[in-house]
Amino acid sequence: MRGITAVFRREWSAAVTSPVAWVATVLAVLGLHAAFFFLGFPVGDRALPSFWVGRTASLDALFAWIPVFFAVLAPALTMASWAEERRAGTDEILLTLPVKTRALVAGKWLAAWVLLGAITTVAVLPVAFAVDSVGPLDWGTVWGGLIGAWMFAAAAVALGLAASALAREELVAFLLSAALLFGLWSAGLFVRVLPGHLAEVAWYASPSLHFLDSGARGVIDARDACYFLLFVLAGLSVNAAVVEGRRYG
Amino acid sequence: MIRVRDLSKSYSEVRAVDGVSFDVAAGEVVGLLGPNGAGKSTTMKILTGFLYPDGGEVWVDGRPVDPEDPDSKAPIGYLPETTPLYPRMRVGEYLDFIGRMRGLGRAERRDAAERVLGDCGLEGWERRRIGTLSKGYRQRVGLAQALFGDPKVLVLDEPTSGLDPAEITRIRALIERLGRTKTVVLSTHVLAEVQETCARVIILAGGRVVADGATSELAEEGRVELRITLTGLDDRDVCSVFAALETVRSARRLRTAHPESSGRVTVALEVHERWSAADEVQALAVARGWRILELGHDLPSLERVFLDRTEARSIASHREEVR
Repeated sequence: MRGITAVFRREWSAAVTSPVAWVATVLAVLGLHAAFFFLGFPVGDRALPSFWVGRTASLDALFAWIPVFFAVLAPALTMASWAEERRAGTDEILLTLPVKTRALVAGKWLAAWVLLGAITTVAVLPVAFAVDSVGPLDWGTVWGGLIGAWMFAAAAVALGLAASALAREELVAFLLSAALLFGLWSAGLFVRVLPGHLAEVAWYASPSLHFLDSGARGVIDARDACYFLLFVLAGLSVNAAVVEGRRYG
Repeated sequence: MIRVRDLSKSYSEVRAVDGVSFDVAAGEVVGLLGPNGAGKSTTMKILTGFLYPDGGEVWVDGRPVDPEDPDSKAPIGYLPETTPLYPRMRVGEYLDFIGRMRGLGRAERRDAAERVLGDCGLEGWERRRIGTLSKGYRQRVGLAQALFGDPKVLVLDEPTSGLDPAEITRIRALIERLGRTKTVVLSTHVLAEVQETCARVIILAGGRVVADGATSELAEEGRVELRITLTGLDDRDVCSVFAALETVRSARRLRTAHPESSGRVTVALEVHERWSAADEVQALAVARGWRILELGHDLPSLERVFLDRTEARSIASHREEVR
């Protein structure tokens, strides 16, 4: 579809020249590393010790933090995507160029997804090499975790883009998508204390659980892949509908 | 080249465009004139496929404009009112992006960039970041964007707004040059711009077309107007002045009247023939004891037609004000 690669390139270039994106990325990666080495994952019934305390050659604690990592980074990378276009009025030119709205949405999503996936890979691999140098690391789990993280990233940025399309201000877009991603993550924390049917709903709704119960353990489950695919399609559909809605004034 | 039929668009309670229809032939340069809120920008946004209309239809180059049909928008280049651009992008990078969005290949993009950079006076500026450019140069980049890919129709929303006189002259000259090969629709508040660049003018007011014709012919439609300032009147005299002036044989109508400080009033009287009308006004003044402070005339102009067609104030309301 015409326009997808053009929008992808522009969005990618805008992201890598944005100081805000760099600062958010550096802080989030440093936070993730610090949490893995010194804090562990002390939250809920899936608590894990830090690397130095547990002394286990595993990235479980690192992957356990990925939902929180995404809840900060996905909104930071997507908040400007539509909100800034709308504020500056550049969407008026974009929407009059000979491309479909779906192509604009897909290009923006693809750029944000590849960026978040790349940042996650860059954040995880050095830790994996460091752990591997001190103990026998199961690389199958690492690669499985990364594939799961990329699927999760696709869903997180789709949600972030929908929030950016809905909001008029970047900050509002950030807060909206961060609140949704944190909410979906924290819903997963209570899944074991919730009554049966509510627990089931929380499990199905939370992308964090779909990641933590499969990808983070090195397992790629087709049901989780379908879940993330549907999540992405829903997010992009909302995004396209909101942008199209603007054409009605 | 452009066919607009019964176009209508409302924002909540406000009817921005109300049954607008017009045609623009290939190669015509048409000015859309109108006061703020007349519906110019909304008409342009529908024309370019940015907005869906509530009713009516727009055809460009033989196809109905549909926001979700890329091919229907391909013949249109658009410069919105505020010249929205990406400040962190470089000029060349931005134009390349526009070329990619228009589906141009690498060689086509290179040729198109060379052409529009030359047309818009941007040679040597390709590496500059847009955010560091002056308003005039940003406007040139906006125009270059609209021209990229050689669209048949250019829609320019107030292209000289906020520019310095030198830049205005340059942009007008460019539009005039473009008008030799393209169909151009431009909106503006500046009447001189329309007279200088547009062969035809469409005047919008309250969302409707109130005038449509060749610029020179419309300008001729404006009548000669006498400006009369009288002094030494008492309050009762002011109303009788209006009634008396309407009896002037050559008068078409009393257009505006501005009561000023005590005992003084300025009247604009549209007339068929200025000299005989001026003689009659002088005779009336002598007979009624008015003191004429000023008696002058304005020749026909597009400005007069514009004011005439868009001004809502009537002589009746002036009379109310006087009372």
